[in-house]
Amino acid sequence: MKSAKFLLLILAGSALALTGCTTVNTVENAQKVGQRNMVTDQRVITDGSLSRKVSIVGVNSSQTPGGLLKVQVELLNRTRSRQAFLYRFEWFDLNGMQVENILSANIPDQIEGQESKFINGLAPTPSCHDFRVKFIEAD
Amino acid sequence: MKNKLLLPLIAAAAPLFFAGCATDAHYVQTGDKEQVVSLGQINIQDYANAANAAVKDLLASGALDKVANPPALLELSRIVNNTSQQVDTDLLTKKISIALLQSGKAQTKTVDAKATGYQQEAEFMNDQKTTRLPDFTLSGKIIETVDRAGSTRRTTYSFQLSLNDPKAGVQVWEGEKEIGKQGTRSSVGF
Repeated sequence: MKSAKFLLLILAGSALALTGCTTVNTVENAQKVGQRNMVTDQRVITDGSLSRKVSIVGVNSSQTPGGLLKVQVELLNRTRSRQAFLYRFEWFDLNGMQVENILSANIPDQIEGQESKFINGLAPTPSCHDFRVKFIEAD
Repeated sequence: MKNKLLLPLIAAAAPLFFAGCATDAHYVQTGDKEQVVSLGQINIQDYANAANAAVKDLLASGALDKVANPPALLELSRIVNNTSQQVDTDLLTKKISIALLQSGKAQTKTVDAKATGYQQEAEFMNDQKTTRLPDFTLSGKIIETVDRAGSTRRTTYSFQLSLNDPKAGVQVWEGEKEIGKQGTRSSVGF
């Protein structure tokens, strides 16, 4: 009787524990047609916890026909549970001066367990040549 | 006797406990980690996110670059509010028009009565029509959808925008951003 109750408790507990874990299976074409213009990046990690959970796989960039710099960052959730975070793009001109923009706000996002995901940003003006992306772990 | 000792202890601990919950007024940034997330209301960061997505999509589409005399002249049209709350749509459109003006890709037609008056006066004095018809108009709709399951409520706000070419009578760009919030009550933090 006691062991039956114990088993039920374990089952209920594991069901609760597994509720938060959802991982993602993916499929894609093996022979890629498009070529990504990868950017050599420089990283400053102050939040090791977030960096261990959601890591940056790579950064690539392109230009829109209108001459705006487009940046794409590939992220990978190394955990088995959903991770929420905020990100923010900052843009800089040829002189390294930050280009302030009304829309440069933190953007909330989330990534499922083991999921690979892209986030992208578009420079607010054609004068932007450099960028920086900041990531903050959500509570 | 035990109860007599326990009661003052609880009384002493209670203010300490509640002090941790109280927060003094302080300045915050729109969209920071402490943002208030309301279930039945569009928060300020929602407008910012919707405007951000719309501008990013619109600029990337290159629709504004296809005008004879750049930058494109844009006139803000009607944004229909189909939500249960009173919404000042300028919270959305102003952000978009500022961002487009900053990008150098578009200018918006003035809505200032004085500026329009001076322009009409100049046209009359010079006997010359200088009014430029807008290349595009921007219209849209904000829709609210509410789903419930027990005490859990999910509210989705759809921000739909269309860039219209008034000369050709066609929509040259359309964008939609959905912002969904789910929970049992509003909270602080993302």
